[in-house]
Amino acid sequence: MPLITRETRVALVLLVLLVALNVALNPARFAPSAWGTLLGLAAPLICAALASMPAILGGRGGIDVSVGPAMGFINAVLIKTLVIDSGITSAWVLVPSALVMGAGIGAVNGAIATLVRVQPIIATLGTYLVLSGLTLTLLPAPLGGAPDWLKALSGAWSILPLVVLAVAWLGFKRLPLYEQLLATGSDDRAAYSAGVNVTAVRFLSYVVTGLFVGVAALVLTALIGSADPTIGPNFTLLAISSAALGGVSLAGGRGGFLAAAVGAIDIFLLQSALTYFNVSTFVLQISYGLILVASICINALPSVLPKRGAA
Amino acid sequence: MRRFGWLRVTGAFLVAAGLQALGSVLIEGYSEPFAIRAQLVLSSLLAVAAVGQTLVVIVGGIDLSVPFVIGFANVVAAQLYGDGWPFPLVCLVVAVLAAGIGAINGFLSAALKVHPLILTLGVGTAVQGAVLLWTAGFPTGSAPEGLTKFVSIGAQAWMLPVPWLVPATFVLLLAMMLMLARTPFGRRMYALGANPVAARYALIGPVRMWTLTYALSAVFAAAAGVLLLGFTGSAYADVGQPYLFQSIAAVVIGGTALTGGQGGYLGTVAGALVLTEINTLLIGLGLQPSMVQAALGAVIIVLVSLYGRAAHVRTMI
Repeated sequence: MPLITRETRVALVLLVLLVALNVALNPARFAPSAWGTLLGLAAPLICAALASMPAILGGRGGIDVSVGPAMGFINAVLIKTLVIDSGITSAWVLVPSALVMGAGIGAVNGAIATLVRVQPIIATLGTYLVLSGLTLTLLPAPLGGAPDWLKALSGAWSILPLVVLAVAWLGFKRLPLYEQLLATGSDDRAAYSAGVNVTAVRFLSYVVTGLFVGVAALVLTALIGSADPTIGPNFTLLAISSAALGGVSLAGGRGGFLAAAVGAIDIFLLQSALTYFNVSTFVLQISYGLILVASICINALPSVLPKRGAA
Repeated sequence: MRRFGWLRVTGAFLVAAGLQALGSVLIEGYSEPFAIRAQLVLSSLLAVAAVGQTLVVIVGGIDLSVPFVIGFANVVAAQLYGDGWPFPLVCLVVAVLAAGIGAINGFLSAALKVHPLILTLGVGTAVQGAVLLWTAGFPTGSAPEGLTKFVSIGAQAWMLPVPWLVPATFVLLLAMMLMLARTPFGRRMYALGANPVAARYALIGPVRMWTLTYALSAVFAAAAGVLLLGFTGSAYADVGQPYLFQSIAAVVIGGTALTGGQGGYLGTVAGALVLTEINTLLIGLGLQPSMVQAALGAVIIVLVSLYGRAAHVRTMI
């Protein structure tokens, strides 16, 4: 598969336009000295979009709508249970805890969606409700107190988590699992006939999604510097929209790191530019919806038009 | 396959009945006439909201604009009625606008082969923004008295101890079953959902079918929005939000597969009863709203894994 698919090219053009627009509107916010903070602001959505991508790649309705609540749940456990109740602030404990929780949630999602074979949107909708309910029970109101090293991850060091994810993805692409995942997503019956263990491959795609959710939760915690039970669920639909906008096919088998990341940055820049115009939040919402619809329609146009001549 | 479908629907009704029995044992007054009436009204509202979701899932789609269209109809109906429009005209205008929104959803998804999940979400978001902009965020207006009486838990329909909403939902159920099973449109929906390629050779135009089906879906979501206006008495743009996941869950618990081409509305009604029962039972047991949510999620997974499992790949080759 080429590095940049046709769908991602549309998202890249949009990216260039949005960057130009944002820089023209608000040079101070986009000056090089502010890049660390800016990236820190965008990072939770980028990580969430990256996290939602592997499960979607697996195809046949593969999707993880619990990404947002899972981020919120891990955020709550990190700050409330570990930092405040137990006084643990060491990165050597917090980072592995976040990753283990993420992978655990991913494994549960994967087991329900692939072994029990509950349709993925319903399986992860179930865990969506469970996780957001548990988060609110654990943490009825927001609570401050992230350690300083973690807060630095949303400022000067905000590039670090993204680099880690990029390196992890490059490593993942060298595994046979990656090829098998794309094959499964493109045509699971053909992959199964060719000897791919479709169930195991899809299960592992949810675990990878979960691991990335762990990183997304850390980045989110770094940005807000506290635990907030209501912020997580918002990320689900934004993350899936980002991935789709960037060219990750919701039918499976197409898309990757670059697609999801570019889609998320597009949405972040879009919100940023719209906010600058100081329009009412309602106009913001209308434009956001329309641009989302317009860009996925533009993404789809080239694949529809040539067929007219053929048919 | 057909027999298996009936098994799932019967299973969902049995689960609802079992939950009712469990509630009667655990909670005092759970089977009091007023409590049962309340459950029937809440289930009916969910059942009406989930008509559209059932139809679009049968043709192989999904409609995330349902909660936004519910909120849209809720606010617009209240506003127009408050401005002195006659209520039947209000309903007509809301229905036509909703059908337009749904038609856009269906047409774009089918004509451009875009995944309806994101498309309906985008259209819905824009619609809600437009409604909020129009009312400046503070919807006003009121519900006509007749509408309030139509859905009020204490009201009576002739001899029946339930408001008119409940028998009306029953009629809707019969009409939907008839439409799906006995009309060419209904049969085409199943054909298209089961196998889009074969459907094309049978001269079933996917774009026309999706446009019509999504328009229908939005009209029923709008109906639910207007009914909710009568139920709560005032307009609220977010009134539909709980129905986003609940309408999908009702469809799936009722045995309609999200892959399309299977299932029916009877199952969705059973699913609506089950969801309302679970909610009432958990609240009745004194759980906090957040724990009710968590338990609801777990129960949905358990129920669907009992009788709503998808087929293994090896059976599809």
